[in-house]
Amino acid sequence: MLGRSPIPRFLTMPNKHTDAEAALKKLGDHLRLGWAKKHPVSDKSIESVKNTVREQWEQEQITERPSKPAPAPAKDKSRKPVEPDREG
Amino acid sequence: MEQLIKLVKTYRLSSGLAERLRLAEAIFHLIEPDLRAFVFSAIKPHAAKDVLQEVLISITKSLKTFEGSSKEQFLAWCYQIARRRIYDHIRKKASDRLQPMPHDELLDLVDTSEQAAPMTAADRHDLEYALSLLDSSKPECRDYLWNHYVIGFDYSEIAEEQNLNYDNVRMKIGRCLDEAQSLVS
Repeated sequence: MLGRSPIPRFLTMPNKHTDAEAALKKLGDHLRLGWAKKHPVSDKSIESVKNTVREQWEQEQITERPSKPAPAPAKDKSRKPVEPDREG
Repeated sequence: MEQLIKLVKTYRLSSGLAERLRLAEAIFHLIEPDLRAFVFSAIKPHAAKDVLQEVLISITKSLKTFEGSSKEQFLAWCYQIARRRIYDHIRKKASDRLQPMPHDELLDLVDTSEQAAPMTAADRHDLEYALSLLDSSKPECRDYLWNHYVIGFDYSEIAEEQNLNYDNVRMKIGRCLDEAQSLVS
């Protein structure tokens, strides 16, 4: 192997795309920074999120609250208890 | 942004309303600007406001079911939800699809970003180069370069959206980049 590198040639060649790829990614970072600076988070967005959290939480409380026990069926003792619904 | 995934993990475990509200607010303060930029870069402004609200609500509703463990996974998951809402909207109303952001508008955002993070001469050179790559590309290529490099979608996400296979997208993007580079140089 004298005179030949054991490293395949394609691994040592510079990636011709690297500069362009890095520049485009950098553009993405700066656009997001610029956008965030120009348009701070709106109160409307945060309110929507909070309302959804509240609704979801209330729904969970209703689901988790133990329902009023039904009168015990005296005759059919072999029936298995029904499992509560599980959240998806 | 490193704190983002910590907030999401804590939210998943939290049960009290006050704690969830506090965490949700902190999470969305970090991700809303990115999502808004994404939605507003895809849909006309009059419709984008409503679509953004739908995106935020969808993410909030599913926040407890997110199973990833890194910031990157979480952002990819958020973008996936955003992309679906955007395409749902465009399917119903194709005329709301926004044309690519014009050069001046991009330049304005880049200038504004300098207020948040000072820019070196090399940075400015790179950004001008990136803009010229986009400007010189044909519309289809511009979309690919924009979605993959600027927005950050990976090949598989673009493949799914375009109904193409992974290698096909990877090669198309490579060719688009080659073409743009040769036109700019």
